[in-house]
Amino acid sequence: MNPTSKDMKGIMDKSSYRLLQLLSLAWLACRPTCSSITTYGTIIPQSPLVEIGKEFTATCVVYKAAKATAEDIYWKLKNVTVPKEQYTKINDSAVSVTITITNETANWLLCEKKGSPLNRNQVIHGILLTKGYPPEKPVNLSCMAVQSGRKISSNVTCTWQPGTRDEILKTTYTLFGSLIVSNKSGKAHRSSGYIDFGTFPSFMQLAMWVEVENKLGKVRSDILDIYAADLVKTNPPSDVNILSENNFSRTLLVSWKHPIHVTYVTLKYNIRFCTVGSGDWTEVPPNDTESYKESFRLQYLKPDMEYVVQVRCIHHMGYGYWSDWSANSTARTPEDKPTSKPDLWRVIIPSQVKSERRVQVMCKDPVESNGRIQGYSIKIQDGNWETVAVNDSDLDSRSQERKIIPLYQIPWSDKRRGLIELKAWNSVGESPQASLVIPKLTQEPPSVEWLSWFTQQGRLWVKWQPPNVTATGEPYRSEVTEYILEWVSVSDGAMDWQRERRHTRTAAIKGNLQKFNRYNISVYPMYSGWTGKPLTIAAFLEQGAPLEGPSVKVRRTGKNDAELEWMEIPLDKQRGFITNYTIFFITGGKEHSIVVSTDTYSYTVKRMASNSKYVVRVMASTVQGSTNSSDLSFNTLMYVLCVYPSAPGQIEAIVVSVSISFLFSVVLTMLCCIYKMDSIKKKIWPPVPDPSNSTIAKWSPDFTSKADTPNESALGDVSIVEVDVFDRKSLCEEDKAGLPLKKDKYLSEEHSSGIGGSSCLSSPHQSVSDSDEGGDEGQTTASTVQYSSVVASCGYKGQTPCPLPQSGSSQTPSFTRSESTQPLLDSEEHPEGPESQRYLRNPYFGRLPGGNNGDSGDLEDLNQMEMKKQGLALRRFCPLEEDFQQTTPTEEGHSPDGQPGPDPSYMPQLSGYRPQC
Amino acid sequence: MSGHVKNMYPQLSISQAARTLLSLLLVAAIDSMNAGIACRNQQCESHIQRSSKLTRLIHMESVDLLKIYKASQGDLSELFCQMPINIVPNPNISGLDPSERMLSIYSHCKAFLPHLKRVTEQQRDLQPPSSPLLNNLTTAQYRTSGLANQIKCIYQTLFPNLPIPLEPVDGPTSIHPSQNVFQQKVYGCVVLKNFKELLSQIRHELRTIKNQMCKSRTFAYTNALF
Repeated sequence: MNPTSKDMKGIMDKSSYRLLQLLSLAWLACRPTCSSITTYGTIIPQSPLVEIGKEFTATCVVYKAAKATAEDIYWKLKNVTVPKEQYTKINDSAVSVTITITNETANWLLCEKKGSPLNRNQVIHGILLTKGYPPEKPVNLSCMAVQSGRKISSNVTCTWQPGTRDEILKTTYTLFGSLIVSNKSGKAHRSSGYIDFGTFPSFMQLAMWVEVENKLGKVRSDILDIYAADLVKTNPPSDVNILSENNFSRTLLVSWKHPIHVTYVTLKYNIRFCTVGSGDWTEVPPNDTESYKESFRLQYLKPDMEYVVQVRCIHHMGYGYWSDWSANSTARTPEDKPTSKPDLWRVIIPSQVKSERRVQVMCKDPVESNGRIQGYSIKIQDGNWETVAVNDSDLDSRSQERKIIPLYQIPWSDKRRGLIELKAWNSVGESPQASLVIPKLTQEPPSVEWLSWFTQQGRLWVKWQPPNVTATGEPYRSEVTEYILEWVSVSDGAMDWQRERRHTRTAAIKGNLQKFNRYNISVYPMYSGWTGKPLTIAAFLEQGAPLEGPSVKVRRTGKNDAELEWMEIPLDKQRGFITNYTIFFITGGKEHSIVVSTDTYSYTVKRMASNSKYVVRVMASTVQGSTNSSDLSFNTLMYVLCVYPSAPGQIEAIVVSVSISFLFSVVLTMLCCIYKMDSIKKKIWPPVPDPSNSTIAKWSPDFTSKADTPNESALGDVSIVEVDVFDRKSLCEEDKAGLPLKKDKYLSEEHSSGIGGSSCLSSPHQSVSDSDEGGDEGQTTASTVQYSSVVASCGYKGQTPCPLPQSGSSQTPSFTRSESTQPLLDSEEHPEGPESQRYLRNPYFGRLPGGNNGDSGDLEDLNQMEMKKQGLALRRFCPLEEDFQQTTPTEEGHSPDGQPGPDPSYMPQLSGYRPQC
Repeated sequence: MSGHVKNMYPQLSISQAARTLLSLLLVAAIDSMNAGIACRNQQCESHIQRSSKLTRLIHMESVDLLKIYKASQGDLSELFCQMPINIVPNPNISGLDPSERMLSIYSHCKAFLPHLKRVTEQQRDLQPPSSPLLNNLTTAQYRTSGLANQIKCIYQTLFPNLPIPLEPVDGPTSIHPSQNVFQQKVYGCVVLKNFKELLSQIRHELRTIKNQMCKSRTFAYTNALF
């Protein structure tokens, strides 16, 4: 097979490369012999410039001095050894390596000799790799020559888009420009440059290009073959003037001057205009200003409107660039009479008077007022035309937002129907007439079927369904002619309205609505001037979180529940529709929440822990966010003290437990009483000696003979002996003098009294006190019955009891006195049987004090008084007194004045007690 | 010295020298007529139209140039322009058919270039360096050179088989070797006056040629198609 010429060429190239390489190696091999510095080898090529992304091959040649062969050589990129697979052995002393250059490739390529285990590797030679990219081709070259003075500047400035790669290597940019007559060039920056042609090559053809060069090569952009006029950008037209002409209220004449002579550039123009402050430019159709002219008449403008006009120019064939717009020039069109109706509307205000309303008539300037509205002419029903002058200087056609002008407020009966007519006028003339019918309240045409709203692109839209008008015979026409959209701000009451055409079903509110503000939007269908019933809906342009949370308070706190109550957030602070309320209650670090509907303003939180601290807040939410109320802390109760219908079972349990406790305590008390009855009885009702069992009673019949002859005076001889039953010591002798001092003691202690020689009779202590103090009734009660009890036997202090002849008993009971008010036992009060009879038979017991006659005297009277006080009980002891009188007569048995004592039974207590034996 | 009396201006500064050097370079560039881009195949009408506009521009500038020249020559400037000088090329376009007249336009443009160059050199010695006359003279040379090349391209486009003679049709222009200041001023004024007249005639000729050649070529081209 014969090789082709191409193959032959390739073979020749390879062989020539080999030959060149061998020659180089031979030269390098002899080089160390020529050099004075001993080296171990070298790398070919030296300090190469390598292109990133391409392969690079280097060859290391080892000299004899290195004492190494090709097998001992290996390559390193800085510290990283190049794999053996990339090596190519050329001969015994030369090894080449091929590496792909990347951005990360190290700069140093080293050729090293493998060292022995004892020696380190030896670097034979190294080269520094200079990496870089070749230059990139610039694109999007464009050039421009601007006007300078009256000519086009000779400098042509060009811009282009350079390459996107980093310029690692130094790169130069040169801009070239070629004419038929000459070539030009100039140094440039990376993306721009200019050429000075000396004279701008008007009407000539140019070629422009950019050359980029670095050490890795040179590249040229595409040639921009361009006609010189394509480079031109002139100044904007100069001396732009606007002329306003009378009687031409809708036109303005604009004039200007060419910025450059026509021999250089033939221009065409572009004109734009707008009203002052609007910024909404309107361009005159380019075809109208194509010709080389210096004036133009703007048409179809609005009267009495200030306009801003700007003009620019370009080569008449469209070559080159548009000039900048000229500076603003302003002028005002002349006034014209209003050409549209004023916007007449009314607001119905409820009146205090029944069957009457108030109508506020208002209006806005005509849309085409064509000048400053100076006043209005209004006529109501059949009245005369009245003039309302407008002095507000702001109300002119220049204001973008038409102001609402209140005209009249008049009372209007519900049964009245009326027509309102209105005309506006300015300095030139009157507007067409607007009219509005206010129907009777009962004849109002129907409203729209339904009404809804939504927001879109930052505007509030309203959608409605037209009214279903089928009624006939009504005074109004049954066709809707237009709709009026009225909106009222809830926060400040500001209102406005706009008109929509009869076929409109959806409309955007054109007013300046505020975000987060609630608006009541009403749609009124209009029937040839008749105002239909409105349909109203609340809406927001944009909702937000409420401005403040609800005001919460705890209405009631229970053991396991609490009733919360909050107020509705004021409408102007809701900033949206409240969707729900969320109640948060926190205790012990845990938070719970309950969501309730928007119409809920109180809630009872149940299943709460008793006697616990709770923090509660209520969050009001809208679709756009939520706002919390302030935290409210309270404690649940430990016990429920009040009866509430909310916890009946709990209350019953409390009542039952209290009742059971009470019954238990009662039963326990009763048991104690029963068990301790005797002691209690003794405490409360000391045992009263039963006279029937008394030895005296037994004894009395034996003394009947003596008693039959009672000596009343002998009562003063009765002595009462007080005996300490424990000491069994008689006070008669020991404390005779100190007895009065111990009287109090005696009042509270039991007393025993010795009666006669055989029995001890206790006389009522109270009587003793009374006798001492002259009778204090305060210390005695008529109802008090004093008792005595037998506390000791007659064997007092070792004495032998006094023998009683009647009983012959060796022991005689003694009595202790009691002041108990306990009624006497039946046996005592109504002695029955033989004993009663025996008492009755006993003259001592049966004797009344008043029965003593004769001998007793004053003492008798006094005794009678005492007896009245002491009652019957005392009187029952009277027989004993006689006995005492007989056995122990004392001096003290008489009164100090020598009279006998008032009561013989008291006297012995003062004189002491004397032993009977 | 370039064969004329030179007025020395000792106030020459470095910037003036630079300006002079720039002018010399520009003239050198104008001399290298074939250094630029080659003629492009363009439509006849637009090609001639562009040349007409360039002629109009040069003509307008030549009017201004003559006014500036007269204004800068001092007294007797009107007298200078009325002096007869036979070394200045005749501005009249000659020839019977369009090709001859086109060739005459080209030859006249080429013939006037050395005269404009010499006037520029003379006035550079007579006028201060900041004089607008020098710039306008340089611009006139620049534009005339460009116009000559455009005419040449049009000629080659319209008459591709007709050769362009190396020498001007009217023969080589003789330039007097030495002139005094008076002669220089008279010479410059006559050159500029004839130059203006030449441009006026070229405008007229190009308009005529456009009407004759472009329409007839379009007609002929259309007939060839059918």
